[in-house]
Parts: sequence; structure tokens; C-alpha cells
Amino acid sequence: MSSPAKTVRVTVDNRVIEAPEGATLLQVMLDAGLDIPHYCYHPKLSIDGSCRLCQVKIDGMPKLQISCNTQVRDGMVVHVADPEVESTRRGVLEMLLLNHPLDCPICDKAGECWLQNFAMRFGRGTARTIEPRRKQGKRMDIGERILLDQERCILCRRCVRFCREISKTGELAVFNIGDHSQLDIYDRRLDNDYSMCVADVCPVGALETKDFHHQIRVWFLEETASVCPSCSNGCNIMVSAARDRVWRLVPRRNDEVNDTWMCDAGRLNYRFIADPDRLRAPLVVRDGALAATDWPDALGAAATAIAEFVKRNGAKALGAIVSPHLTNEENFRFGELLRTLGAGRVAMAVRRGAHDDFLIKAEKAANARGVRELGLVAGPDDGLEELLRACEAGEIKALYLCGDDLIDAVAPERLAAIVCRLELLIVQDLRMRPEFARAAIVIPTTTFAEKEGTFTNHAGRVQRITPALATPPGWMSDGEVFTALLNLVGARNDRFDLAGVWAAIARDGGRLATLRLADIGPHGAVLEPAPGA
Amino acid sequence: MAVQVVKVRRPAQSFSSANPWLAILSGLWVSTRHFLHNLGLFMRGRQDFAIHFPEQRLVQPPALRGMPVLVQMEDGKERCVACGLCEWACPTTCITIYPAETTDEVERYPKIFDIDMARCMFCGLCEEACPEEAIVMSRQIEIASYSRAGSLWHKQDLLVPVAQLKTRTDYLRRNYDR
Repeated sequence: MSSPAKTVRVTVDNRVIEAPEGATLLQVMLDAGLDIPHYCYHPKLSIDGSCRLCQVKIDGMPKLQISCNTQVRDGMVVHVADPEVESTRRGVLEMLLLNHPLDCPICDKAGECWLQNFAMRFGRGTARTIEPRRKQGKRMDIGERILLDQERCILCRRCVRFCREISKTGELAVFNIGDHSQLDIYDRRLDNDYSMCVADVCPVGALETKDFHHQIRVWFLEETASVCPSCSNGCNIMVSAARDRVWRLVPRRNDEVNDTWMCDAGRLNYRFIADPDRLRAPLVVRDGALAATDWPDALGAAATAIAEFVKRNGAKALGAIVSPHLTNEENFRFGELLRTLGAGRVAMAVRRGAHDDFLIKAEKAANARGVRELGLVAGPDDGLEELLRACEAGEIKALYLCGDDLIDAVAPERLAAIVCRLELLIVQDLRMRPEFARAAIVIPTTTFAEKEGTFTNHAGRVQRITPALATPPGWMSDGEVFTALLNLVGARNDRFDLAGVWAAIARDGGRLATLRLADIGPHGAVLEPAPGA
Repeated sequence: MAVQVVKVRRPAQSFSSANPWLAILSGLWVSTRHFLHNLGLFMRGRQDFAIHFPEQRLVQPPALRGMPVLVQMEDGKERCVACGLCEWACPTTCITIYPAETTDEVERYPKIFDIDMARCMFCGLCEEACPEEAIVMSRQIEIASYSRAGSLWHKQDLLVPVAQLKTRTDYLRRNYDR
């Protein structure tokens, strides 16, 4: 394509649409808000032209054309609301439904199935065949996380193209020809790191994730736009929640981050939200043992313990480990708290794991870059080694610990030795970990699905998360905990809300201050490159 | 956007819809018939026109919508596949279903199927929504209980053998053109 792209004018049903030259007619019509049924076309996959549903009438062409494989030309006149187009759609849908099992009542796709939707809107409503439907493989276990139902498949080959072009593993193919075509795997099972995306691209229920199989009907789900918390890539997701729990995470399109994909590990990492071992109330040491208490009591105890410790040992003996799982706003508030206390050393522990050159990043936390951009930590290992040495040397005698990434970042014996030396340990975490059994105060943390805020991904893109679940009455999110502590130790009277924190961020003048909360749209906003970077 | 004129083809008017007063006459005829019937019984000496419930019971017509029940197949299993349409159709949200998988040919069944009879209003929308004829309105209307927990009916309480529901299923097939 030449650049700058020339604009052409296309007429669709008497409506003039402007589009860049060389664009696909189907995409142009979809972008203009027209309702064109299609199956095989996917904006992030190559053109296949196998479903024949997007056919339109174009003046000057002898027959109907598939709009997904037609480039727009200047002066092109297209007819969509045309009897010929409508009867062709009816015919195509009737053919796709010839052997479709119509087991919608037990199909997990029902409710978000493109075949259901288009057959209801553009199809003929009743079948004319009396012949028995073709029997093929059902509930075929083709991968660790994926089930295949060959009867439901409409052979659009989206999944085949996904495996060839995106995951570049090529497990799937359509075997045989004509009426005998069927989707199947080669001798290798569909076990790649992105395999569950084939269930997303599948317009029908032929490919389903085992994780969501027979869980809940999709029409009960409420979807909330959010960001995947599992690694620093920050894939945009939808959190599907119903009945006070999360049922699945699905990718949300963001061409700057994850296109329309996400990895299986991230997609399956939501069960911790409903972990039965999750702390439901703060714990405070009373009579030598940790006991559940209410929030104001625990925060009062924490503030008192910190104040007494500082009086005995000085603020320089207080260290903190920041969590890369908390939002920018919460970490900013935590930074304010640590500055008010005058904490000696601040570090961050980040769990690391496998990575690839596509979406999966090594840092298994959503906001490690955000913590660094806030200026809370510095150094190649985010100050962790220095802080640990200071603990071992006895310079740091109290630790405010957020998150449990420390358990994976430090060898167990070393961690146990450090914890034993501490005079005061305050832990803010999801569950009670045996490693931190010596904690004086344990405060429950709030997951990404229950709060709002922003995460900064590895590339410096600040993206918003929104709460999908409600927290129990009286519950305090991490930001509210930090704010309450700040109010107690700093004699302030703050509240924790996004607008207030962002005003403080703007006053603070750090790197995040180059953005305003309103700048962060559904696809996030990128931080200005650092001066000198 | 260009305005389009769509010509709608309407069905030809039937005789009864062209003459709505006929419905008034037929309604009057029902009342008059009952009046004349009871008048005849009274003239022949009948004194008592009440049904002495519970010793005496009316034979309920198949159109009666009693409490919804689940159809139990001959093999003892429910016909329900937990598709959730009744749950969605229910205006009082008294139905709660949790599906699960089996190794049977029909791979899905309700692990939990609860109806809160305290909330049910016997509208029959669940029965109408059901694609499997698995939930039907029975003729059972005596469902009072001493506690709220007692009016929460679980799957095992709701199952009724298919043979006992024949009157209703026949009625459904006749009237809903199934």
C-alpha cells in the first residue's frame, strides 16, 4: 500500500462511506456500523473466504462477491439490502445448518453463538431436510484445555489459521474434502500456550474450553473491561462474573497490546479470586497467636506497632516490600505512607517465570513497571538484594510486606532466617502463608477483580481496571488500608478515591504526572519516554 | 439514511376477528350454560353445591398450572439438560440451576436444580421456554410448608415420573403445537 493512504468513497445502499484505499470491503462496512454476517473473516487472521456468508452485490461484477476478499475501489457501488443478497444468505445458512446438531441446550456457546445469531436474523427459521444429520466426533479431547465437537463445526477454518499464523504451531487442519471435510488435529495435540484462543475465534461451539465447559450460561454473565493481572504484558480482558464469582476471563481487543489474544496461563488464573483459603478478615497477634479481628482494630494495631517500633529503633530500621500486583494509585499511597514514616529501605519482589516473544512476559505481575515509574524502588533488582542484606545485617528490623512474591524470589532458608530476625512483620496478602506465620498483623489484600485503578504494563502503557465483583460490607481495599494508616500516623484526613489520588500524583510531579486519569481510555495511554531514555 | 417503505403482507382477516361481538356471545353462553345446569340440579333437589375439600377433590383440568415439576424418565434420570432457559425466562428468578457433565450420550445434566416455591407464581413461562419438555406445570397445588426452607424444592423433590404427567404433556403438545 502506498503511504499516505488515499481515501476512496464507496456507496453501500445509497450511503457513501469513506475508506482508505486497499481496505477490505467487509471491514469498511463493519466499521461503518453495518450489520454484515460473516464467519471466516477475522480482523487478525488472513482471509480465507470459506464461509460465503458475507456476499454482497457490487455493480459491474457478474456475480455476488464475498466482501471479505474484495478491496474497496473508488466509486464502488455495493448493495446489501438486496433480495439476491438476502436469499443467498438464507441459502448459505441453510447449508451450514444441514448437518448442525442443534444441541444448543447443552452447548456452552449458546447465547454468544454466531450461528444462532445469524440464523435467527438472516436464516429461514425452519429446516426442510428430513434426512438424518451426519454423525461425527463429539466431546473429542484434542488438547489439555480444549474440547472439539466436529458436528458443530462449520469449517470456517479460523482456528486452523490461528494455529498456523498466530501461535505458529499448526496443530489443527481440515481433513478430507467436500461433504467429508472435518476439523481435527494432526498427531500432535492442541497444547500450545495460546490454545484457548481457538475457542474465542470459533464462531460456533465446535471448540470449547474445558475450563468453561458446562459451567454457566453466558447470558447470566456480566462482563467488565479489565486488564490481565498475570504478567507485565497487561493484556486487555473482559472479566465475566455472575453469582458473586468470576467464571472466565476472555481477551478484549487492543491492537497496541494483545490484538484479540491472551495466553492460557493468564486466562486460567482467576481461581485465586474465589480461593477458599483467602483471608476474610485481618489477623492480629493477641496472646501469642494470630486471631481474626475487624478492620479498624487491625489498622489501629498496625499504626501503634509501627509508631512504637519507630520510637524504639528509629525509622531507618523500617523496611518495606512493595507489591507489583497493586495498582499505581495504591502504590502511590503506599509511597506517601512510607515517606511519612521515613522508612529506611523500600524494595520490590517480583515473581519471574517462563516467557516468549509474543505475549507472555517473564515478570508475573501486572504493575512492576508502575512501581518503578512511581520512583518507589530503584536498581536492577528493584533494591531487593540490598534490603535482604540489610535485614540479615540487622539494619532493618521491621518489614511491611505487600504480596507474597518474596516467597518465590528468595530461597526458602534465607527467607526463613530473615523472617526470624525481624522484630515486627506486617503482611498484606491474599492468604495466610506459613512462611509469614511470625507476622504480628496480617491484612487481607483485594484482587484486581474487586477494585478500580490503573496498571502500567512492561511498555509503559497505563491501563484501567474496573471492579467486576463487590467486596463484602466493611471490607477495605489496599488503597483504603494505606490511606487509613496514613491518616493514623500522619494525622491526615484523606479518603481513597481515584480522582483524589490522581490529583496528588499530578502535584507530586513524577513520571505518572505526565498523564491525567481522563487520558486513560479503554485502550490505555502510554507514558512519555523517560528523559534520556 | 434513505427512508425505505416496507410493504407488510398481512394475513386475511378471519371471520371471528372480523366479528368480535361473537366472543361476547360465546362467553355469555358459557355463563348461561352453567346457570341452567345448576338450576336443573337444584330443581331435582340438590342442596349442596360446594366441594368438601380435602375429603372431596375436583378433577383438575389439564390446563391448570400447579407447581412446576421435573420430568423423570423411565431410567430414573431427569430429562432436563440444564440449558438454563427456564432460569432465564422465570420472572421471579425462583429457579437456580448448576449444570454438570455426565458420560451419557446427552452430556449435560443439572447437578443442582432448585425452585423456590415461595417465589414461584405459577406463570408457566419455564414450561413454555423448555426445549426438552423437561419442566412442566403439574396439577399439584398443595405445597404449603411451615418454613421458608421448606418451600425450597430440590431436584429430588421435583422429579415426577413421566407417566404421571401424561395429561399435561399431551395438553402441551396439543396447545403449543409442539
